[in-house]
Amino acid sequence: MTVTTEVLVAVADLVLGYPLPGGGRREVLRGVNLSLAPGELVALLGTNGSGKTTLLRALAGTLTPDAGVIRYAGRSLREWRRNELARRVAVLPQQLELPLGFRVSELVAMGRAPHARRLFASTADDDRAIARALFDADATDLADRPAEELSGGERQRLLVAMALAQEPDLLLLDEPTLHLDLAHQVSLLAAIRRLRDQRGLTVIAVLHDLNLAAAFAPRVAVLDGGRVVADGAPGDVLSADLVHRVFGVQVDEARTEGGRRHLALHEL
Amino acid sequence: MTPRLRLLLPPLLALVLAACAPAGSPSPSAESSSAASPSASAAVYPLSLTDDAGRAVSLAAEPTRIVSLAPSNTEIVCAVGACDRLVGVTDADDYPAEVSQVDKVVIAAQVDVEKVVAADPELILAAGNELTPSTVITRLADLGYPVLVLYPESLAELYADIELVGRALDATTQAADAVSDMRARAQAVAEAVATAERPRTFYEVAVYQGTIYTAGADSFLASLLSIAGADPITGDSLTTAIQLEDLVAADPQLILLGDAAYDASITAESVAARDGWQGMTAVLDGRVLVVPEDPVITRPGPRIIDGLEALARAIHPELFE
Amino acid sequence: MRAAAVTRQRFVTRPSLTRAGLVLGGGGVLLLAAMLAAVAIGSVGVGIGETASILGRRLLALPIAETWSPAAETIIFELRLPRVMTAMLVGGGLAMAGTVFQALLRNPMADPYIIGTASGASLGAIIGILAPLLVPALAVGAGTAWLGLGMVQALAFVGGISTVLLVYAVARGNGRVPVVTLLLTGYAVSSVLAACVALLMFVSGRALGAIFGWLMGSLAGATWPSLAFAAPLLALSFALLLVRWRRLNLLLLGDDQAAHLGVEVEREKLVLTMLATLATSAAVAISGTIGFVGLVVPHLLRLATGPDHRLLLPASVLYGAALLALADLGARLAGGIPVGIVTALLGAPFFIWLLRRSRDLGRAASA
Repeated sequence: MTVTTEVLVAVADLVLGYPLPGGGRREVLRGVNLSLAPGELVALLGTNGSGKTTLLRALAGTLTPDAGVIRYAGRSLREWRRNELARRVAVLPQQLELPLGFRVSELVAMGRAPHARRLFASTADDDRAIARALFDADATDLADRPAEELSGGERQRLLVAMALAQEPDLLLLDEPTLHLDLAHQVSLLAAIRRLRDQRGLTVIAVLHDLNLAAAFAPRVAVLDGGRVVADGAPGDVLSADLVHRVFGVQVDEARTEGGRRHLALHEL
Repeated sequence: MTPRLRLLLPPLLALVLAACAPAGSPSPSAESSSAASPSASAAVYPLSLTDDAGRAVSLAAEPTRIVSLAPSNTEIVCAVGACDRLVGVTDADDYPAEVSQVDKVVIAAQVDVEKVVAADPELILAAGNELTPSTVITRLADLGYPVLVLYPESLAELYADIELVGRALDATTQAADAVSDMRARAQAVAEAVATAERPRTFYEVAVYQGTIYTAGADSFLASLLSIAGADPITGDSLTTAIQLEDLVAADPQLILLGDAAYDASITAESVAARDGWQGMTAVLDGRVLVVPEDPVITRPGPRIIDGLEALARAIHPELFE
Repeated sequence: MRAAAVTRQRFVTRPSLTRAGLVLGGGGVLLLAAMLAAVAIGSVGVGIGETASILGRRLLALPIAETWSPAAETIIFELRLPRVMTAMLVGGGLAMAGTVFQALLRNPMADPYIIGTASGASLGAIIGILAPLLVPALAVGAGTAWLGLGMVQALAFVGGISTVLLVYAVARGNGRVPVVTLLLTGYAVSSVLAACVALLMFVSGRALGAIFGWLMGSLAGATWPSLAFAAPLLALSFALLLVRWRRLNLLLLGDDQAAHLGVEVEREKLVLTMLATLATSAAVAISGTIGFVGLVVPHLLRLATGPDHRLLLPASVLYGAALLALADLGARLAGGIPVGIVTALLGAPFFIWLLRRSRDLGRAASA
């Protein structure tokens, strides 16, 4: 593990809650600490309601913390203007309702909005970034298709291309594999890894499949009760004991032929 | 008294109609205020007048081209002898006969401002209380035309309006003659019915969608009914509506059907058949009368006296054989 | 593919210049033709030559000998020209506001009046119409000029804007104004105000005709002073909204994603709402509540331009302006009926067609 003093994202003592309709608050994050160096790839795991998506939205700047600080490149997130932030951080949402009538390439072009310099036209830089984004997302062949005609897997490639068009440093993925079959899950995560290597992205991905996360990410952070209860390499962190503690499920630890740990469910 | 009055009608009418002749020769006068006495036929321009809407109107010279935006105004203009100066009237104008030759600038109650402008008027006579929309009045006034708004709510105000128009057109003598004739006839009616018992009278203006419309409290129509010797049952002063139960409680002794003048299906029988109306004294006594003269009764012009006399005949048939 | 070759590929990311040229050029030509037709034609015939001469002399200060009657000049320059220009500005403003609200509220049924402008302006106008009748002292000269507006127009303007401010304030919770909440609050407030309007209409007596005419929307009251009031407001909102096309496109992706792409969502929603409301209120103040233009024009144009607001916004202004100028010409020739009746007669059948078309498309898509 490389020791680096440079920190890209630093979350310190983050507390976040939602007001309840009947009054009172539901505390979701109760003091989260997490930091990432540039180029790191982290999978966020935890039960439903453990705050994974909340943490992601806080990192994206769309939720304001009740207490604690998120620092990006040394500056508190509060000091960043929305447009500035969007040039560095891209979010791949779980779902996106695509407006009718746009072509794939036009939607990808919307990802250039944070970089827009001219009032009515786009620049050569924009065109280049769009072409690169489509290529990297393996979506070049989709470019002229109307977005509403895409299948699930194709939509995912479109969303990746939109995020890449922002030319971000940090990519946040919110359960990107939720509606995909296994093949697409694997190809998407493999593509993300490849992009991380090629573009030097830092990636935080919220995932729910523990084994998939272990295969995909060199580092996992597990949320439970609004706090990070485990943070490290999957081989070190994901134990049957942790799974039982956090998810309440009994699993067996197995070893793959390559020597990686694999969590196997008992027969139900 | 009354039969003689009726004998006098034709020559008086003839006099009024004959007054539709060119204005008399100008007499010297230094007066330029609105307080010109009716008998002075002075050249009084430039002239400042105040109309029924309280607006100050100035006339630089004697108007020779007049546009009337309401049938009542047209009749007033003709009553003061200026019929030939009319260059624009409404499509609802029907008296006197010669106005049918004049260009129509108001069609289906819509004032066509372009047509008014094309007629190049020197005086425009509008109607008040939104009968001519105030937006139109403002528009025409802003374009520089003198607009007189007339809205009499009683006989006295109608006389004043006729005199006002007479002053505006330098036809004060004709105006005074027309007014004194109207006054005399109205006086005759009032005297004839002075001692007679006043029946509680309901004048039906319209019944629409179940709402009954009649003479509003303190309205012109109510005052005419009073002069004609009735005790009018009136409706709300703003909406002119009356609730059926209020009408039943008031129990009219006489019902006059003004709307029957436009709708042949409204008759004494049809009224008697209405739910809730059968118990009224007027219905039981058979005193439900069609009033074909409603068009002149509700038009605030010189012929309203014809209407007044028709009302008197309907209310007190025994006095006017 | 090698990296260099990749980045040299050009993809279609905007409506083509050809399409833009056709749509905007066509709109410009249509607008010009509509303007000329509407000024030249009316219930009083003024020859084309005379019309052109009058306009040339008054607008361009050309030294043309005055061979026409003063009445003709009044008709062309004081009656028709301000009316046609008002129609253009109002039509363009309503169409643009409709486009903005359809994007902002992500609702294809949105029109410029949806969050309360119409009901608020109507209430203001009716109070303005009735007040002089109830309190004669207020009937000062039947139309006091306040900044070129009569009392009715001024109250309509104030009514429209303050209603939207009220709706916005009520809909705001936690510093956010979710789109659905805004819609529902607008509907609720509109209903209450519409009930007040109905009550006032019931007791209005003689003024009912004036009130009804205002509610239907009419350009008969167009004057140079009222145009001078509304034109700067409309021009300002055109300018400020046209440059926001990117943010409108992004808002179509939803509040969250728009924020992720750099839009200050709550601030932008407020700015867009207020600009569109400013345009709508200015339009309604001088012409009453003209319907269908703000709903139908964006829909129709989207078929030709696509949903990209870069082209849709300016196109909606051009075609909305042309449409209303022509509709007003029709209204004048039909005997001076309120132009709102003409737009309703044109708009309703079109709207039904649009609904059936989208229903059929929807059926095909889910088949």
